[in-house]
Amino acid sequence: MDNKTLNRILKMKNMIFDNLMESYLPFPIDKKYYSSWTDKLPRDGDTVIYTSYMYQISGILKKYEKLFPKISNVNVPKRLMGLSKFLIKPGESEIKRSFSIMNNIVNILQKNHINFGYLYDDEPYSGAILLESGFLKEFMEYGNKLNDFFKSRGIKRIITLDPHTTNALKRLKTMINFDIDVKNYIELINFNGSGEYVIHDSCLYSRAMDMYGLIRDKINKSGIKIDEDYLTTSKDMGTCCGGPLSLISVNDSDEIARLRSEKLLKINNNVLVMCPLCYQNLSPHVENIKDLAEVIS
Amino acid sequence: MNYEWNVSIDKAILNNAPNVNKILEENPYIKETAKELRSKKLEVLGNIDFYIDKTEESVKRSGGHFHFAKDSSDAMEIVREIVKNNKNIVLSKSNVLYEIKLREELSKLGKDVWETDLGEYLVQINNDMPSHLIAPAIHLSKEKISKLLNKNLDKSINENTSVEDMVKAVRKFLMEKYLASEVGITGANAISADTGSVLLIENEGNIRMDTVLPGIHIAITGIDKIVPTLKDAFNEVIVQASYAGFYPPTYINVTSGPSATGDIELQKVSPATGPREFHLIVIDNGRKEAINSDLRESLLCIRCGRCYFSCPAYKYYGKDFGDSPYTGPTGIMWSAVTAKKYDKSLLCMHSGGCKEVCPMDINIPEIIEKIKFRETG
Ligand code: SF4
Repeated sequence: MDNKTLNRILKMKNMIFDNLMESYLPFPIDKKYYSSWTDKLPRDGDTVIYTSYMYQISGILKKYEKLFPKISNVNVPKRLMGLSKFLIKPGESEIKRSFSIMNNIVNILQKNHINFGYLYDDEPYSGAILLESGFLKEFMEYGNKLNDFFKSRGIKRIITLDPHTTNALKRLKTMINFDIDVKNYIELINFNGSGEYVIHDSCLYSRAMDMYGLIRDKINKSGIKIDEDYLTTSKDMGTCCGGPLSLISVNDSDEIARLRSEKLLKINNNVLVMCPLCYQNLSPHVENIKDLAEVIS
Repeated sequence: MNYEWNVSIDKAILNNAPNVNKILEENPYIKETAKELRSKKLEVLGNIDFYIDKTEESVKRSGGHFHFAKDSSDAMEIVREIVKNNKNIVLSKSNVLYEIKLREELSKLGKDVWETDLGEYLVQINNDMPSHLIAPAIHLSKEKISKLLNKNLDKSINENTSVEDMVKAVRKFLMEKYLASEVGITGANAISADTGSVLLIENEGNIRMDTVLPGIHIAITGIDKIVPTLKDAFNEVIVQASYAGFYPPTYINVTSGPSATGDIELQKVSPATGPREFHLIVIDNGRKEAINSDLRESLLCIRCGRCYFSCPAYKYYGKDFGDSPYTGPTGIMWSAVTAKKYDKSLLCMHSGGCKEVCPMDINIPEIIEKIKFRETG
């Protein structure tokens, strides 16, 4: 790894960490806008649905990743980062899609008789990016702040929507005194669906959190048909979409996504994902790609 | 993306992964054995000094020489003392030999040193480094190999030469080297502390030659290869071979001291037909420090190479994911342990397939996360 890349990563670490400690966000985003996908849920509650803004901002993460080297080169003062050109907005259709995914998850959870509130624009980001980049000290420090925040709001149970947030909170339990119950929405629901797909598993769901079997069982029962191939979709051999690599190299990340897509498309033209970042990474190479929460009810 | 590498790695995965699965399904005892082995290796890691001492006693009891090397230069110093003026040396594939830069150092002394594993021989004549723990030349296509052999071995070899004929030409060349060799240097797949035996597993037959034909056999390996008993050592080589896709292995070599005979009035006389001297060098080189750190479980690795094929970073970057010879998911751990090199860990995507297939149940992604932390913390 050349020094330039390492310096960039270290600068990025400091920038993200400072932002998180100051504002609970890794970089400036319009919280009001991103939490406007619902107004029907009670504010707060001892159980809350927790987006960590992942579905909402997944479409702009790549743009931020491309921007990071520039920001770290010119040392943009933090107060300016909230302004104009640094505040990237996703496209209209992208944001509509993410809002409808989250609303569908809410509907299915409610159909499964699960009640919960939402923190709206008070919602903090999980810190997953720190954990996944190996910034463990910062992750734990921010984790403590997050823990205090959730506790101060009387939260006892968190329902997560995406693998990165779920994994970050579950790992916090093993690293600090984080004793809030964390459940991913897929664990909590039974659902119906149709169609035939090849699954691109989230690495975190299927292997890090050992949910491969649970997800297969639920999807099989739903009426969705899954096409499998040991070398491409098994727990042992299925591989990453390349997403996490984009902080190091956007080009390599894209190339890995392309190669992964090629393998998936040999099995079925319809690809099913369960993570907003997998969706972003694979969708340039796969025409018919859907998130699980878009095809179930 | 290197197209040639992409094709080679896909072929290797297709040939290896389903085959390993079949071996494990047909022989359910192997997974059980792997579990037992893990607990035995953990026991050694928890008492490493005791087991090093026990190995020393056992090697000496069987008439061999035992050496402990704290690092690479220490190990090379010991090798130079043993080799002395002997010139002709044959080697068998071992990552520890790369770790201490043995071939390079011996060549500098003017020795005639040859790798005898076919893949390693190809890597040697290509002035290259291995791309995989047990398949060092998977990055080389048949066409590239034919060119290498044409340039370095036999002008009659070209891209139309069959693989069989290429292997035959190398065999003929290496046979001359075996017969002329004075020293055979190998690694070890396992060492039993109770008997001081070195176990080596292979399919080509070259290790048999390396360990029997020269007058001196030197085995060099890490302290992580020590297991409590000879039974555990057999378990280790069987598990390693199975997860590497070779079951049953063609040869398991056991060496406990120099050759000996008791055929005349049951009086033990050494040497007999095989080597007159046997040396075991066990090397620390960062391993003890790792045992006492959050990298401890790295040392459970038996180097079967299975994790490579479940890793998107290795599939994409090849041997650039790591620092050869330690590449792939396990290579990230071994580079951290033996060279304190951490930077390539940043290429890991934590896909996690490595953990799923590892016979030693090492939580490789979590260890790599800690290595990342060493780089960026
Ligand atoms: S880490 Fe596990 S799978 Fe990889 S080479 Fe070592 S023992 Fe084999």
